Amino acid sequence: MARGHHEVKLYRRENPDPGSARPWGTLPLLAFPLLFLSLFFFFPLGSILVEGLTDEGGSFTLGHIRSILTDRYYLRVIGFTATQAALSTVASVILGLPGAYILARFSFRGKSVIKALTTVPFVLPSIIVVLGFVIFFGNNGFLNRALMAVTGLEDPPLKVLYSLRAIVLAHAFYNFPICIRLVSSVWSRINPNLERAAQGLGAHGLKLFSRVTLPQLLPGILAAASLTFIFCFTSFAIILVLGGGPKYSTIEVVIYRLAKVSLDLKAGSAFAIVESLLSILFMWGYIKLQGRVSFAEKAGRKHEERPFSLLFRTPWGIPAALYLVIVFLIIVAPMLSAVGNSFVRRSGWAGNSRPSLFWYAKLFFDTETSAFTVSYLSAIKNSLFFGLMTITFSLPLGTLIAYVTTRRKFPAQGLFDAVTMLPLGISSIILGLGYIRAYQNLPWDITGRWYAIAFAHTIIAYPFVIRSTSAVFRKINPSIIKAAMSLGANRWRTFWSVELPLIKSGIIAGATFAFAISIGEINATLMLYNPRLTTIPIAIYRLIGSYNYFAACALGTILMLLCFIVFLLIDKMGFEVT
Amino acid sequence: MSLTLKNIKKSYPDFEIDVSFDIENGKLITLLGPSGCGKTTTLHIIAGFIGPDSGSIILGGTRVDMLPPYKREAGLVFQDYALFPNMNVARNIAFGLRMHGWTGDRIERRVEELLDLVHLEGFERRSITSLSGGEQQRVALARALAPNPRILLLDEPLSALDAKLRKELRADIRRIQKKLALTTVYVTHDQEEAFAISDRIAVMKNGSIEQTGTSQEIYNNPKTLFVAEFVGLTNTIEARVLGRRGGFTEVESEFGRFLARDGSELSAGQKISLVFRPERSRLVRGEADANIIEAEVKSCEYLGDSTLLELEAKGTRFTVKLSQAVFCTTGETRRISFSPEDCILLPVSHP
Repeated sequence: MARGHHEVKLYRRENPDPGSARPWGTLPLLAFPLLFLSLFFFFPLGSILVEGLTDEGGSFTLGHIRSILTDRYYLRVIGFTATQAALSTVASVILGLPGAYILARFSFRGKSVIKALTTVPFVLPSIIVVLGFVIFFGNNGFLNRALMAVTGLEDPPLKVLYSLRAIVLAHAFYNFPICIRLVSSVWSRINPNLERAAQGLGAHGLKLFSRVTLPQLLPGILAAASLTFIFCFTSFAIILVLGGGPKYSTIEVVIYRLAKVSLDLKAGSAFAIVESLLSILFMWGYIKLQGRVSFAEKAGRKHEERPFSLLFRTPWGIPAALYLVIVFLIIVAPMLSAVGNSFVRRSGWAGNSRPSLFWYAKLFFDTETSAFTVSYLSAIKNSLFFGLMTITFSLPLGTLIAYVTTRRKFPAQGLFDAVTMLPLGISSIILGLGYIRAYQNLPWDITGRWYAIAFAHTIIAYPFVIRSTSAVFRKINPSIIKAAMSLGANRWRTFWSVELPLIKSGIIAGATFAFAISIGEINATLMLYNPRLTTIPIAIYRLIGSYNYFAACALGTILMLLCFIVFLLIDKMGFEVT
Repeated sequence: MSLTLKNIKKSYPDFEIDVSFDIENGKLITLLGPSGCGKTTTLHIIAGFIGPDSGSIILGGTRVDMLPPYKREAGLVFQDYALFPNMNVARNIAFGLRMHGWTGDRIERRVEELLDLVHLEGFERRSITSLSGGEQQRVALARALAPNPRILLLDEPLSALDAKLRKELRADIRRIQKKLALTTVYVTHDQEEAFAISDRIAVMKNGSIEQTGTSQEIYNNPKTLFVAEFVGLTNTIEARVLGRRGGFTEVESEFGRFLARDGSELSAGQKISLVFRPERSRLVRGEADANIIEAEVKSCEYLGDSTLLELEAKGTRFTVKLSQAVFCTTGETRRISFSPEDCILLPVSHP
């Protein structure tokens, strides 16, 4: 993954498209995105607003919101959601900082592997984290069985599942690589001359770090922390399984239960409004911090990386090496133990284990499908189908929006940018709730249909397509478009033979992201599916629920394999995932 | 504080530094050379950021090469200013003072003093981002000077600035350096800058010093072809030594025989390069006693204060720079003349 660090020049939309003198010429291009977003994002979102803000008679009321904000149970849920997110964030940052330093300042063998591993959480479905966690840390998991074998204890010594500890641990596992990644990139881009200048002026050690390095680093740490906080605040599957009950419920889980179990759409919608306001607030904070990071990085000089052996000569060498090993294990061990388990068959609960392909054979040959169960093979087929559908819809949607926002000038552009990125701030549970609410009383009820799931996945995925394609659009020098046109190519010809080849990598990256998001998605799918539309993550979720861990691991291994391919593709193209 | 670098060596996989020089108290030495010649590495060795494999650095009579950078009391100025973006101007300048235990009014007075010195009176509260490049570099200079360093190290301090500002700030740096009588090492790749600012210049190539001397010595008596070509335009003729004649050395080349400055250490038959500068050449009509080459005019550029002619003879290009306007036609044959005193004989460079 040795990528050259060359400066990338970004072109702003100072040069509007030479062909678009009329500002409203952009409108036809926007027709498809606007129609799609209206039907499958804003209409559902609006109906949640209406549901949560009106009484039975249909007149406006803040009563539902008020009762959420005065109810002791709901307040405790909000409090718990924030607490677990804050604890998880602190744990992730503490776990991530040493790694950020080592990755930023040292070179060593296997560094590229560790660096690539830090992108894993971006493509790893949350259900896999849950699965790996149960298999590795569970009472009957790898860690406990290993400890029992070593110490000779009768009972599992580590009881972490179904507690706040489990949630925080799983979140830290899921998010600390993000902290490593974000902070190390800031750390390596701090102008090395700043530290040299400070040293020349007599600063060293802790003083040098706290007065010179830390102030440069702080925006990066805060940005990583706020991103982690947002992820943990709206995390769903991890809480649903590892929290294991109403005591450890977060807002997302409560909304899910309100919508699917107690069928109280009014309370669900009101809670959804409260949560969305909070997460949009956090999102705004993150974007502000992100802006400060890019400002701090303007100097753009790279630190020279020292060989890791230098660190070994200091007292910090052993802890640092140990840390790297632990990082590697923490990320890889749960996944590996899930993979390992999938090749094991055990006779009875405490029976002997032996290597076997039994679970895979069951997956592929046990194709009995009834109204309530679905074969694992069709779960795989469903997941691949939704993945391809998500690519099909989100690619034109995201690319068109990216093209328009980077290339054209039109009125209310800032508003348009914000509106098209809004799905990032709306959780997918709420999106699912919106679909249920919006279409339930219409002749066209889409809940339980395949396209509801495909559209929901599209809405979740397309902002990532915008990201990856607008990044390449911005790198295209507007002059080459003018050059092509002056050489006789018309607008379409220019797009086809000049721009498209240049943005190809961005489109492929966007498609890959869309696919990864779709095959790992469980939240909105859980809200909208019917048993015949079971996907791999949902099948795994249900297998964990029925304690059929081995089959869950086999399906999980297949999902991991799919994600691994996606991960390799993204890594190969060198896209910055955040 | 005099500075001596004695046999400083540092090996890299594809490169080696091997440097020795000394500079008297209060003088400014410039390390001049193309990029990648090791001048910044040498500066970082003096500052203590890079440890040499062998050799010693002696500052004011004591060895400093074992000291960490923060104990060397060297003031540093970087090309990219490296000002602390989280501090304002006054706090940047005060940073080194705080590190050395200064407090309160003393810091304030010292900061004011330095802002006066670099002509930035009243800039105390300004943020770094509100300053122009030139102003930032003045603040960086003030910050480096604040704790009274024993030596000042400047690493291409003017490279990021535009031409006019460069000259202005160059003069200011020299004025301040002379006023404080501060021993200074200055790194640049710009020969004009080096000539203007230095007491001494060390021309570097591939990690070692080719020649050390005053500006005049470097320009008028280069010791190698590399030095001659790096510090100005040259005309070079491959030739062979014939012998001595009337206080000069006579050489023979494909353009005929020439007289050059006395090179008594040269022996007859030796291959050498004869070098003369374009601005020491003339165009003559008729016979002259001096060295003459007949060449065809290829181009003629009027530059305002001078005229630059490109001529060619037997596949070799010659440049002539005349201080007045001349009229010549492309394709015509002219005679280039240059006096023996201006001809330098240098060893043929090994490619």
